[in-house]
Amino acid sequence: MSIQRLASLLLAAALCCFVVAPALGDDVLTVYSGRNESLIGPILAQFTEDTGIETEILYGGTSAVANQILTEGENSPADVFIAQDGGALGALAAADMLHKLPAATIARVANEAFVSPDGVWTGLSGRARVFVYSPESLDEHGLELPNSIHDLTGEEWRGLVGWAPANASFVSNVTAMRVLLGEEETAAWLAGMIANGVQAYPKNTPIVQATIDGEVVGGLVNHYYLFRFLAEDPDITATLHFFPAGDLGSLINAAGAAILKSTDQPYDALALVDYLLSDTAQAYFAQTTYEYPLVASVEPSVDLPALADIETPEIDLSDLADLQGTLTMIEESGALD
Amino acid sequence: MEYSLQADHLTKLFNGQLPAVNDITLRVRPGEFLTLLGPSGGGKTTTLRLLAGFETPTKGRIQIGDHIVADDSHFMPPEKRKIGMVFQDYALFPHVDVAGNIAFGLRGSSKDKARQVKRLLTLVGLTQFAERMPYELSGGQQQRVALARALAPNPDILLLDEPFSNLDTGLRAQVRSDVRHILLETGTTAIFVTHDQQEALSLSDEIAIIFDGKLAQVATPHALYNRPVNMQVAKFVGDANFLPAEAHGMTADSRLGEVKLFHPKSGRVQLMIRPEALAVGFDEEGSRATVLWREFYGHYQRLGLALADGTTELIARTGVDRYFQRGDAVSVSLALPALAYDSESQHVLS
Amino acid sequence: MQLADAIRPRLRINGHHHRVLARWQVGNRQLAQAVSLAVVAVVMIPIAYLVLGAVSAGQEGIDYLIRARTLRIVGNSISLMTAATLLATLIAVPFAWLTSRSDLPWRRAWLALGLAAMVIPSYLTAVTYTEAFGPKGVLQSLLEPFGVDRLPPIKGFAGATLTLTVVTFPYIVLPVRAALLHCDRSLEEAGQSLGLNRWGVFRQIILPQLRPALSAGMLMTALYCLSDFGAVAVMHFNAFTRAIFIQTESYRMDKASVLALLLVGMTLVLLLLHSRMQIRGRHYRVGVGASRHLELLPLGRWKAPALIFCASIVFLGVVIPLLVLFKWLLGHTLTNPIQVPLNLLIHNTVGVSAVSALVVTLAAFPLALLAARGATRFNRWLVNVAYAGNVLPGIVIALALVMFATQNMLSIYQTLPLLIIGYAIRYLPFSIGATESAFAQINPRYEEAARSLGLSPWAALARITVPLARGGILAGLALVFLNVMKELPTTLILRPIGFRTFATRIWSAYDEAFLSSVALPGLALILVSAFALAIILRREEAIS
Repeated sequence: MSIQRLASLLLAAALCCFVVAPALGDDVLTVYSGRNESLIGPILAQFTEDTGIETEILYGGTSAVANQILTEGENSPADVFIAQDGGALGALAAADMLHKLPAATIARVANEAFVSPDGVWTGLSGRARVFVYSPESLDEHGLELPNSIHDLTGEEWRGLVGWAPANASFVSNVTAMRVLLGEEETAAWLAGMIANGVQAYPKNTPIVQATIDGEVVGGLVNHYYLFRFLAEDPDITATLHFFPAGDLGSLINAAGAAILKSTDQPYDALALVDYLLSDTAQAYFAQTTYEYPLVASVEPSVDLPALADIETPEIDLSDLADLQGTLTMIEESGALD
Repeated sequence: MEYSLQADHLTKLFNGQLPAVNDITLRVRPGEFLTLLGPSGGGKTTTLRLLAGFETPTKGRIQIGDHIVADDSHFMPPEKRKIGMVFQDYALFPHVDVAGNIAFGLRGSSKDKARQVKRLLTLVGLTQFAERMPYELSGGQQQRVALARALAPNPDILLLDEPFSNLDTGLRAQVRSDVRHILLETGTTAIFVTHDQQEALSLSDEIAIIFDGKLAQVATPHALYNRPVNMQVAKFVGDANFLPAEAHGMTADSRLGEVKLFHPKSGRVQLMIRPEALAVGFDEEGSRATVLWREFYGHYQRLGLALADGTTELIARTGVDRYFQRGDAVSVSLALPALAYDSESQHVLS
Repeated sequence: MQLADAIRPRLRINGHHHRVLARWQVGNRQLAQAVSLAVVAVVMIPIAYLVLGAVSAGQEGIDYLIRARTLRIVGNSISLMTAATLLATLIAVPFAWLTSRSDLPWRRAWLALGLAAMVIPSYLTAVTYTEAFGPKGVLQSLLEPFGVDRLPPIKGFAGATLTLTVVTFPYIVLPVRAALLHCDRSLEEAGQSLGLNRWGVFRQIILPQLRPALSAGMLMTALYCLSDFGAVAVMHFNAFTRAIFIQTESYRMDKASVLALLLVGMTLVLLLLHSRMQIRGRHYRVGVGASRHLELLPLGRWKAPALIFCASIVFLGVVIPLLVLFKWLLGHTLTNPIQVPLNLLIHNTVGVSAVSALVVTLAAFPLALLAARGATRFNRWLVNVAYAGNVLPGIVIALALVMFATQNMLSIYQTLPLLIIGYAIRYLPFSIGATESAFAQINPRYEEAARSLGLSPWAALARITVPLARGGILAGLALVFLNVMKELPTTLILRPIGFRTFATRIWSAYDEAFLSSVALPGLALILVSAFALAIILRREEAIS
């Protein structure tokens, strides 16, 4: 073989790489999503269809994606960040990485508890933390519904509760606990849960699945996951329990979006955020993912209790920005082991 | 062109070891068949590989035809040297058929190649095997394909590295003479490596004896056998008896009485006597000896003899016209002049 | 034994190797050296960044290193590795023996089915086990009539060990079986003639001959266990790879680097220990022996237990994963709102795996040439460094390349070239090993014969060496292809945004309990892998 032949082979291989590589045009809007693709993917696809703006979307855990943006800093290719909860958005706001949103955009959200006080991020959909459980399993084990998440550290619940300790909604729930109850009590609760044999799952959906299967009696999840299962199989008996009396287990939080300061496509980015607050997208959140729409013009799904009727603990969502502190505490507790 | 190949002061050192090839100088005339003979590991294969260009000489100069192919400043790679090579294990390309192997080194149109392949297949007598794969051939056939492949590009010089050592004894003699005839027919200049002195003596025009990387002697087979330059060569090329003697000019006194010498010598010497130079019989003349053992080979016989002094043993080779057996009292005398080596240096001329 | 040489364990079963008198002229070696040097430079990147990352952690890194929690990770990894390797050995040796030296019915079929466990990636086996052996899983429902209404949780040490045992035991079966087939039968006869019974022959004659193969296979298994991410991630067992993944995902690169260096250190220690043992046990060689027809030992009344044993292994390794996947595919599971066309997944997975395999093979080529034909100290060093992938688990390479790209080469961050580089570094040793041993089995006289017939060194390479080594090179290519296709952590971390493969699709679908979205890509992946494995095994058979 001549040297030329070898070289041309190498060249061909190199070319192959770039043929396979997708065209990375500059006009593609890069979205980093901490929300699951199954929840946000369809509406993002709809956005591209309706506006013609192409997107490429990185999916990951909200905390992980927030950390990734923090690490990438100025160099981050991300234009828009969609988060599962306000805490992660608050962390980026604290690092001064978010673009201020126009007042008209912010004004779409009816309840100002769900937007950042500085106007750098907006809520997109609301949801409650709940305890999903199977009534049969509850009876089988002779258990009473818990009045507080603190009850779940009791011996009678040993090995029967599921959680998703790396999940952003859970993380912000723990952050809220740190804010309201203090570090010590929060760490003690985490330790108590682990000592009580809590079952760890990667995300919320497998907890609901495990509840239906009877693998656990119940678990700490966001309210909307169960409806996915009910939509396919109305015979499922698993149901939701809202912790009463402002217990931390019933924290109401919002998924949200923000535009990165480092974006090179601010207008396309804003178009996406506005789209997600449009009636179309809000109706999608209400009807398809069973979340609470945040704009006044869209009604929530009939199956849900009114947002106002849920007794949520008194807390300002912007106070939940200490993502790293909570992640460290969860890690130190051994919940991820 | 006086010589097809000239090698001068060839030396090869492999990192830090004793020289594998040490100051070897060779000349090969066109059409000549030169054999490099020596014990295994003595440097003859390395010499051949230096000539072929598979090794770079540490020192020395090689000229093939009119071209200097290696010296202090030049090194011509093997593919440019116009050599042909036949390997010990033939190295027939296992993924190519016989015709493909032979055509491998040919250039030109496929028609020319086909004609050339056919000519060579005829030459080596394998016309019906063109489409066989190497593994479908016997050892002797593989050998002939290897020869045909090496001859196909009309090399200036053919190098053969122990080409017969993988053949059965019976086959070997036949293939050997076939090869010799083919080389004579094509007038090819050849250099041949072997450790088998029989092979070397029977095939070669000239033999170069190599011991420990050094050239010991270059001579025709006849001269090498009859006038080996030292005792080491004498022992390597055929059986040899050594007998101490006191030389006086052209004669010497030994346990066989007074014997004639090949060269004039004086003082203490070692006589070198080939077994067939001893005449053994039941005669009155000659020294007395007893037959210790006998090996019968059909067309000759080897005898172990003990001289009457009880300390000297000799090996003799005689025809089969007489019958000997163990314990026979025989007479032994020298039929030809003996070669005398200086006792100290073991050389003929010193 | 040098550290550098230790990281090149080789499964050299038999075959003639030509190394002596195979030298190149200097001029021809230079191009191969230049290309090798470039490849090795790329391989050095992750090592350099790993060290840099760990150093940048400073005192904090040291504190992190010596914390009880970190030490527990070390303990977890070691116990998992030990348990899985021992268990795998315990099932692999009898399995290898039964399928090669006994009169077990359908030996070849059992062997093929047993080895098929190799094509199922560890994470896929693990997810099916959570379904099969979970507290309310398939097994529990079968035991329900016997009053078992709940099984202990499978997740954790038990699940990880079970999974890794099942997916790694073929790596011991392959060399042990080859060694059994090449055992010098006359030694066994000599043993019998000296009064040993069957068991005595096995223990005193056969077992010592198996030692090199067994230790090589066990080493492969141990390395696999240390570097595997899928099984421990699914089973929530906090071994190194999972801990590194969690830190990497949260972009705590300094901590991840500390853990990664520790893991690399452990791998090196393992390899060094192994090479020490090899030196001591060197006089045991697998005989090249006359391949006389091997006498098959009659099992007699042990036939039924042997069949049950083999059936159980096949059941665990292949049947359960397939059954669960089919159950998910056909049964009622949650519908994934995100449907990815299967042909897109096939296109991406097969495309990136094929390109990677090609790149790896081309990169390995000059290195393998140097290893087989140009043995100088410098070249040996080059080749040894190129074997670094043996001690760098996928997750570690991915972590280091993210640091490299984000800090120094943003243009390739989240692109296919970076992903392919990650795969290439990881699997370069596979390809070098296969190509080198293919070269080493070629008589260098062939190349010389070609040169004497007027071919340049490169022409001789193209017309003689490469065609003759083709089988080995292709087997290496298939091996890399198979492994890249199954590779999870590297893909998860280095893939371009929106780039989906079978592995990532299975992973994210399982995360969200979209089980039918696990099943289809899972089955497709198994099918494609089976083809690649068939090519590799065919080659193994051809060699032995």
